[in-house]
Order: sequence, then structure tokens, then C-alpha cells
Amino acid sequence: MFSELWSDVRYRMRTIFRREVVEAEMNDELRFHLERETEKYIAQGMAPDEARRRATIAFGGVNRTKDDTFDAHGTALFDQFVQDLRYALRGLRARPLFTATVVVTLGLGVGANAAMFGVIDRLMFRPPRFLRDPASVNRVFVTTTEPTGKRIPTSKFGYLDLITFQKTARRETAIAGASFRSLAVGEGENTRVRHAAVMSANAFTMFDAHPVLGRFFTADEDAPPAGQDVVVLGYGFWQSQYGGRDDALGKLLKIGPKRYRVIGVAPEGFTAFDDEEPALYLPLTAYAAGQSPTFYKTYNWTWFDLFVRRAPNVSVMDATADLTHAAVADWNAMRETSPALAPAEKVRPEAIVAPVQTARGPNAGPTAQVAVWIGGVAAVVLLVACANVANLLLARSMRRRREIAVRRALGGSRGRLIRQMLTESFVLSVLGAIAGLVGAQLASRIVMKIFFDATAAHMSVLADSRTLFFALAMTVVVAMLAGIVPALHSGRDDLADSLRGGMREMAHRGSRIRSTLLVFQTALSVILLVGAGLFVRSVKAVDAAPLGFESDPLVYVEMQLRDVKLTGAEETQLTNRLIGEAQTFPGVAAVTPTNSVPFWSFEGHTLITDGMSADSVRKIGHFLTQTGSSDYFKATGTRILRGRGIEAGDRTDAPPVVVVSEAMGKVLWPGADPIGKCIRFRSDTMPCVSVVGVAENVRAQKLTDGAELAYYLPIEQYRTVFGEGLPYLYVRVQGRAENYAEAIRARLQKMMPGSAYVITKPMNEILNPSKRSWTSGATMFSALGGLALGLAAIGLYAVIAFGVAQRMNEIGVRIALGAVPSDVIRLVVGEGVRVTVIGVAIGGVAAWAAGKKIEPLLFGVSGRDPIVLLSVAALLVGVGVLASLIPASRAAGVDPNTALRTE
Amino acid sequence: MDDHRLDLPQGTLDLLILKSLSLGPQHGWAISERLHDVSRETLQVPQGSLYPALHRLERRGWIRAEWGASENNRRAKYYELTRAGHKQLDTETEQWRRLTFAVSLVLDMS
Repeated sequence: MFSELWSDVRYRMRTIFRREVVEAEMNDELRFHLERETEKYIAQGMAPDEARRRATIAFGGVNRTKDDTFDAHGTALFDQFVQDLRYALRGLRARPLFTATVVVTLGLGVGANAAMFGVIDRLMFRPPRFLRDPASVNRVFVTTTEPTGKRIPTSKFGYLDLITFQKTARRETAIAGASFRSLAVGEGENTRVRHAAVMSANAFTMFDAHPVLGRFFTADEDAPPAGQDVVVLGYGFWQSQYGGRDDALGKLLKIGPKRYRVIGVAPEGFTAFDDEEPALYLPLTAYAAGQSPTFYKTYNWTWFDLFVRRAPNVSVMDATADLTHAAVADWNAMRETSPALAPAEKVRPEAIVAPVQTARGPNAGPTAQVAVWIGGVAAVVLLVACANVANLLLARSMRRRREIAVRRALGGSRGRLIRQMLTESFVLSVLGAIAGLVGAQLASRIVMKIFFDATAAHMSVLADSRTLFFALAMTVVVAMLAGIVPALHSGRDDLADSLRGGMREMAHRGSRIRSTLLVFQTALSVILLVGAGLFVRSVKAVDAAPLGFESDPLVYVEMQLRDVKLTGAEETQLTNRLIGEAQTFPGVAAVTPTNSVPFWSFEGHTLITDGMSADSVRKIGHFLTQTGSSDYFKATGTRILRGRGIEAGDRTDAPPVVVVSEAMGKVLWPGADPIGKCIRFRSDTMPCVSVVGVAENVRAQKLTDGAELAYYLPIEQYRTVFGEGLPYLYVRVQGRAENYAEAIRARLQKMMPGSAYVITKPMNEILNPSKRSWTSGATMFSALGGLALGLAAIGLYAVIAFGVAQRMNEIGVRIALGAVPSDVIRLVVGEGVRVTVIGVAIGGVAAWAAGKKIEPLLFGVSGRDPIVLLSVAALLVGVGVLASLIPASRAAGVDPNTALRTE
Repeated sequence: MDDHRLDLPQGTLDLLILKSLSLGPQHGWAISERLHDVSRETLQVPQGSLYPALHRLERRGWIRAEWGASENNRRAKYYELTRAGHKQLDTETEQWRRLTFAVSLVLDMS
């Protein structure tokens, strides 16, 4: 069977690629036959001429036989295709402007989609590399009821949770913990913060990855209390830091506070469960022991994600039930160590067995949702591009109507003509796809930067087979979509009509399809531009939203002590020395120590008021603890609304005081003045901390939530209650923080003992990721909306211009009968505007309907914002007028004599 | 054309070519002559349709072609049966026999 197929293919290939040889052989063969036949007749006594004649008659038509014989080779379809291809290329070369328009249009459509596909694929679909049977590996979340009554899923677990899950769960073959963190790596001047994977030894077993050098760490090296200080290097790190040499094995490398021995190198592109290649892989226990030696005995440090591989034939539902059982057991175990916790029946821990990709889990951020929307938007742009190309092809086929009619009259079949049109659009879309891939290659860098951190934006579309395949598949679909309408249309024509009437009579029928396509395009553009408007307004609203602090001039400073052992008091002294040094830096306006940094970290403590127990306070929500010196409010710019801020006199020996945010005052003492009220920390036997001031509200966790429950303690009084130390500072500069951050770092670094070091960050850099979903939404919607608008404008222009060309006669007659140019302009522009207005109406209704759906992704603006809707409508009508004005003015300038003579 | 000559039923030409080649390699003209002679000049093989059939069979892999010297020392394209061709001949012969047997049974009923 297979060999027959193979011989068949070989035979056809030979016919296709060695056509001349095959044809010559065939001629020889047939000539031989005729000669033999002739000889036969001569031998029977005929005259040579007569013999040749008889032989030819007996043979039947020589040329037909040749054709039939050639057809027997089974390559007729291919030959036709080649013919169509040549014909199409010739046709396209003859009209370079048309070809360029179509190719650029398709290129933009395909390019935008390929780039977005890359983003969405990365966020949602692509499983981590090397992961064996990705469908059976899951990330686990556990939902519990918070004291506030909300049910919130978490993906963060501690070591004791992991142990309980491993012991209790029955239907999973492996349960592993993994965390991806930024760690200080190296010593002295060469210290850099690197991306590192901290994971259980059994996490490696979920992958088909094999070390390119040495080995991975084993379960023995990852056992409590402290594991072994061994490290596996990431391939990239090994290449850049050890030149890819074998002698990296056995080297010692300082990571955080400890030195680790290099035992292996992971293969290139191995990222474990993350999407960025880590520089190092550390055993969970070895890393944890360096942070907190008692980590394996307590529940209060939840810091890694849980990954499971389901046993064969265990469904997600079965695993959910099994892991929920484990989560309840885990909660009960935790309750034994801290009996104050609510019982499991009340907290109802429930496992969620989610895909590995975070963006598909229950805690997916708005970035993934926005990316999906944009993906849809890119698809819409592609539709607009298709409509445009269909329109251009249609207009072209109208122009070629007579040629087509003649060909059909001469016997060209309808199927053959359709095939030819499809071939033409296929050629166009292949050219478009090439343009698109080039465009995607350029666009994807930008798009990746918009959606991911700059470090992750090093992807090449051409090197990515999934994206490449997607772009090619899309090309085929586009070719079909764009080609099918004009192809069907051209096949349907009535022959006699076309031959007789030429272009004039037929113009109207085609124009209905073209107008419909235009309306469709306009409507889609409206939807996209409304989206763009909504996101742009959201970004404006986000930027304008009062943060409650000024981020532009703030530099955040963090000290990393690593293995430098300092007592609390020594740490406080070091902090004070750094504050003193920073204050002498030119351009620095204020310096304060701090603890919780908005959008970065959160510190909370048990609170009690005179009227409320710790539990009832906890039910209200999370209260953010902030601390600072008397310069705190000057540094952050948070305004004191009433009372006073922190003052220099609020020292250890002074009465304890606190400043509360307006929101906190309202929830704890509704209707009353907070000033003079009392709060206590931890228990009601602690001293009363009296409220001396009310500060404006701040946003610290969500940009959308402007009423953070926050309180501010004087630094020295904070230290007496919660301990010494605090390695964080705010430095306020005159001007913008990014101009100072590096200089301040260099200055402060000189003060650090041993291998301790300093990190500085402009506050805005910390805020930006929280704004990303809106900024990326605004950028992408605007870019794609602008693209769609441009395409629609080109489409409108082309169609109106074509319509004008078709109606030259009619217009000529009108002018001859006394129409003035303004009448003609009104006629033509009126048509363009009519189409645009219908499109705007349809698109407006659709955008109105979709508005509610997109609202959760917006900020400070309704999904049905009338300003956006109206300005988009106005914009499109304006573009419609402009696009029709050019052909209109050309029509107005028509010389009736010429126009009437041409047809 | 003489009355006693019969046109070939659809599809039997392939069978006849295969059978003819099973006796040994032959070029196209000789096949046509042989069919004509062996059928006692009854079967009229349209020479024009012989070649498309030969090329189709070659494509299927049932016969293969080779250029050789003809009986009067000229270059001719010789066809011979492949192993698959032998098998195909057996199958088709068997089918033909069953068909003609069945048809004759029906025709003989009284």
C-alpha cells in the first residue's frame, strides 16, 4: 500500500519537476507507435503517404491523445494552479498600487494578530517547557473565609502546609512547592539581584529536563531542618558567569546569607513553573533555613506555590475533592498550634485545582483579562482588513467584468474562474503574511514590553514556531475570507448582460455588497475606538486619582544585610547613619524610615479599641501599619487633615501617639471625632495609644481602592512595641526620583558593612505594574483602533473613488444639464456619509451593549461613557467626509465632454 | 469500421493490458497488435486510448517502463508488469470471471 502511494507520488513529482523530459519521452513513444503502424501498412503494400494517413486515422487525434496521456499523469490540477499563479502574479504586477494597498492592509492585520497571539499564548496557553504531560499538572489554590466574611483564594503556602498535603492527599503522584524570587547573588562589588527558583526536589520529577552538567538536587538534600547548601545553575547564568565551563561544578556561590555548592546545570530554556529562566535553583529547605531556622515548625510564613501531578485517570474534580480534604486536615493541624483560629467548618477550606499558568487561575490579574480583550480586538482588526481586501478585490473584479465574461463565453468554467480568483487572493495573502510576519517581528518587541517586564521582552516571532504556525494558518483563513466574496460574485454574473452592458449597468449590484462591507468595517472601527477612548480615560483617571502621597519625588531605599549579623540596636544605628548621610545629599528634601511601602509590602498588627475586641476589628478589614520620623509626612506628601502629624518630640519617653487615616477613623469611630480616642496593640492590657491627628486617605494595595485603613506611628514608639531595626527609607528629592535613585544608591552603599548592600527604586517604578493593565489596554486599543480607523478610511476612499469612476457618465450628464460642482460634491460625499452614519449607528449600539462587560477593567469611567461614544461618532463621520471629499472633488472637476465620450 | 468488431466495455482495457504484459515486456504498439491478433481481430482497441491507460497504470505502479531497442533496432518504450501488477492482474481476472459467470447465469435463465 505504502510503496504504491510512494511510486504514485514519485511519478507525479517527476511529471511536475521534469516536465520537458516527460513530454519529450511521450512524443518519442507516440511517434514510435505511428512509425510502426505506418511500416505495417507499407509492408501490406501501401504507398508511404497513404500508409501514414491510415496510421494516423487508426490512432485517432494525435494531439488529443497527447493531452489525454498527459492527464493520466494526474497533475492537471497542479498545472492549472501553476497557470493561475502565473496569471495572478502577472495581474498583480500590472497594478502595483492595488497590490501594495492589499499587502499592507493584510500585513497590518496579520502582524497585529501574530503579536497579540504571542502575548496571549505566553500568558495563558503555553505550558512551561519540558513539563511532562502538562494536562495532568496543576497549581493549587485554597479558598478560605476571611474574618471579614469574604472568601479569598490563596496560592501561597508554608512548609508545614506542604508536609500535611503530601501526607494527606491520596490521588496525586507528586506534590511540590516552588517559589520564584529575587535573590542577592555574588560577593562584594559583583553582587547582583537575580531571578531564582526555590523548589522542592521532587519538582524536578515533573519535568523531562536533564541536567546538561552534574545533577539536580535530591530529596535528601531538601530535607528539614536545613537541607544541603547546594545549587543548580540556570543555563544562561552558567554561560554568562562561568563561560559554560565544566569546572563550575563544585564552586561555591554566595546566595543571600549563605554559600551554596554548585552541583549541576539545568538545560537551556528550563524555567520550572515560571516563564522566565531562573539563574539558580535552590532546595526549598536550604533557602528557607537561611531565612528562618524554624521554618519547618511554624505556619506563619506562607511563601511558595503548590504544584501537583494528578495520578493517572484522576480527574480535576477528583483531585479537587482529595485536595480539599487535605486542606481541611491542614487547617485543623494549624488550629492545634493556634487555637484562636476559627474551626474548619466555619472557614471551609476548599481546594482549587487550577492550570499551571497563573493567568488562568482564580487570582489572574487584570493584565491577562486585558490581553484577552486585546486579542479579540486584534481579531476584529483582521476582520476589518479582510473586509477591506474583499472590497478591493470586488472592485477589481467589477473592473474586469468584461474580461471575465469573455473568458466564460469562450468556455472557462465557473469553478475554474472561482479557483483563479481564490488563487489571486491566496497570492495576495501570502505576500500579506510575509509583510505581516515582518510587522509582527517589529511589533512584538513593543507589545511584549507593554505586557511584560522589560527583561521578558526578548522574544522573536520568527523563532517561535507556535506564533509562526498561527500566522500561517491565519493567512490561509484570510485568503479564503477575503477571496470568497468576490470569487462567488464574479461567478454569478449573467454572461449576456456583462457583455452587452459593460460596466455601467452592473455597477449597482456590486455596490450593495461593498456598502455592506463598509458599514461592517465602520461599525467595527467604532467599537475599537470606543474601547480605546474608555481605556485612555481610565489611564487619565488612574493618573489623576489621589494616591494620598506624591510618588514622583520619592525614592524607596532598602537595605539588604545578607550575612552581616547586627543586633536590633545596631541595625537602628545603621539606619540612622544612612538617614543622616542621605540628608546631606544635594537635592534631598526629606528622609524618613518606613516599613510598609504601598503596592510593595504590607504590615498589619492586631488592633483593639475601647469599644471593640481584636476579632471585631479584624472583621472590618486589614489595617495597614505605617511608621516614620517627624519628616514622614513631609517626605510622602500625605496631608494632615486635622490634629497634628508625627513630631520630633514623640520619643520613647513621651506618651504614645498615632495618626490615623480618615477612612480608619470613620470605620472605628463612626460619627465621632477620632482625635483623643485610644487604640491598643495585641491585647487590652497594653498601654493606650491616643490618636493625635487624622491624615488624608491613601491608596496602598489597589489603585481602585482609595480608602486604605492606615495608621502612622512615630518610629521610636513603633520600635518599643514591635522591635528594633527597619531597613527601609523614603528619600524625597527636589525634582523627579529617577534622576536621583542611582546617585543616592552609590552614596549610601559606601556606608554598608561587609557584604550588605542597598537597593534604591523610584516610587513610580513600584507603582507602574499596578497601572499596567490600564496603560497596556489604552496603548493597544489606541494602536489597533487607529489601525482599524485607517483601514476603514482607505476602504471608504477606495469604494467611493471606484463608485465615482463608475458613474463618470452619469456625473457628466448631470454637469452637462447644469449641475454645479457643489451639487456633485454633495452627491458623492452624501453617499460616503450615509454609509458611515449607518456603520456608526450599528457600531455605537454594539459598543453600548459591550460597555457593561468591559467595565470591570476600567477605572473611573463608565463602560457607556457618553463623551467617548459621541467623540468617536464625530471622529468617524469626519473621516467619512474626508475620505469621500477627494474623489468628490475629482468628480466635480469632470469635463462632461470627456466623460460622455469615454464609454 | 467492420461490423464484427466490438468496442471494449468500460474498464476492461486495463485488464487486457495487464494480461498482455504478463506474457513478457512489450512496447505500446506491440500490445495493441497483440490484443488485436489474439482476440481474432474482434476487439477494437482504440490506439488513442491505449497510451493514457498505459501511463495511468505506470503511475499506479502496476507496470514499469524502460527504454530499450525494438525488434528493428529503434528506441522504444517497453512496459513490464511489476509485482503489484501481477497481483492486480490476478484480482481483476478473478473479478472478471465472476462477473461474466454471473451475467451468463442471468442470461441463461429460462
